[in-house]
Amino acid sequence: MNEREHEGRRDELAAYLLGALDPGEAAALEQHLAGCEGCRDELDWLRPAALMLPEAVDRVDPPPRLRARIMGEVEADAKGERQRVRHQRRGFALGFLPALGLAALALVVAALAGYTIHDSGSGGGTTTVAAGHPPGVVAKMVRDGDSGTLRLANVHQLPSGEVLQAWVRRGKRIESAKTLFLPNREGRASAVIDHMDGVNTVMVTAEPRGGSDYPTSAPIVTVAIPQ
Amino acid sequence: MKARGRAVERLADEELMPLIGEQDPAAFEVFYDRHGGVAYSLAYRIVGEQAAAEDVIQEAFISIWRSGGRYDRTRGSVRSWTLGIVRNRAIDLLRSRAGRTPKLGFDDEAVLEQRPSGDFTDEEALRRETAAEVRGALGALPGEQSKVIELAYFGGFSQSEIAAMLEVPLGTVKGRMRLGLEKIRGRLAEGLA
Repeated sequence: MNEREHEGRRDELAAYLLGALDPGEAAALEQHLAGCEGCRDELDWLRPAALMLPEAVDRVDPPPRLRARIMGEVEADAKGERQRVRHQRRGFALGFLPALGLAALALVVAALAGYTIHDSGSGGGTTTVAAGHPPGVVAKMVRDGDSGTLRLANVHQLPSGEVLQAWVRRGKRIESAKTLFLPNREGRASAVIDHMDGVNTVMVTAEPRGGSDYPTSAPIVTVAIPQ
Repeated sequence: MKARGRAVERLADEELMPLIGEQDPAAFEVFYDRHGGVAYSLAYRIVGEQAAAEDVIQEAFISIWRSGGRYDRTRGSVRSWTLGIVRNRAIDLLRSRAGRTPKLGFDDEAVLEQRPSGDFTDEEALRRETAAEVRGALGALPGEQSKVIELAYFGGFSQSEIAAMLEVPLGTVKGRMRLGLEKIRGRLAEGLA
């Protein structure tokens, strides 16, 4: 590599740190960095400036409900994991379907065409799922007051660039539950859905990252909510 | 439980991550409380609206939780790693929207903090002091340099896209980014001296 080309690479260090290189450009620079100590040293020197940029934005306090939603999912995951382990020890096949001791309504929904929905709570409901969806998705909707926790199992990993999005239906109107989430490595996923009053159906679809204004694919699961 | 809670709060970020990997909600709660504020501010700065910023943060933090807190030390501090994840998701959201408009402008006059400085830990106070240095450095840059940095970092535009938007050669964009970032870095070096 001649001096001019090397200088060109040095000029790209800032763009690299700012995330402004295309994947191909970034890969080419990384290949250069692997063999150039001078550029690596300069990159290391420059890096703190880029890392401090987020700290310099105006501070905006996140709303308390965001923390509650996030910790709700975290706690639900952790409880599900502990209960799964307990039920596995007891020889239960589906460890994530225990009674939770909440003043809650739970529905178990099988997301296969033609499957009967089993009601394990104080209410009941049925749903049908269109053919062609992944087999074996199991869902549970736990309602607590005006919010609910939707927990899924056996969800296949999504392609890169896709997320799960929850939707609610009130009468004929479908709207986003403003909840985007991803399945974990074990195929479990959960979402907290606020403002459940009047909701008669909860659905989950796979959408492009960032979500959609309207469902762009058929639901992978639909849960009927008894009124 | 309370005694354990206080013990977890005293752990350094690098010690929290293995606990998060073991699905410890208390450790994750501390992690969120430490970094959720700046993360949300960053997301809000990029996407420009509260609901979208909330979605970004929820998605980012839950993905960290469910991936077992797979933190790579070679990529910097836990905080910078986390903010990198948040930035990427915010940019993804921005790119998924049609006709996005670049958001420019750092407001040096904006109040960074409402709490009196006495409420901060030493680490937080140092962080805010450094943040003020960066804001000052950005404000002192020639407009053409701060603009390309903002378009790249907060707008998610590539150097090629920026060159096209500003109708300047690609080399000019690279040079402005490099000069701008070097000046910020130099100012940080002075502040740390």
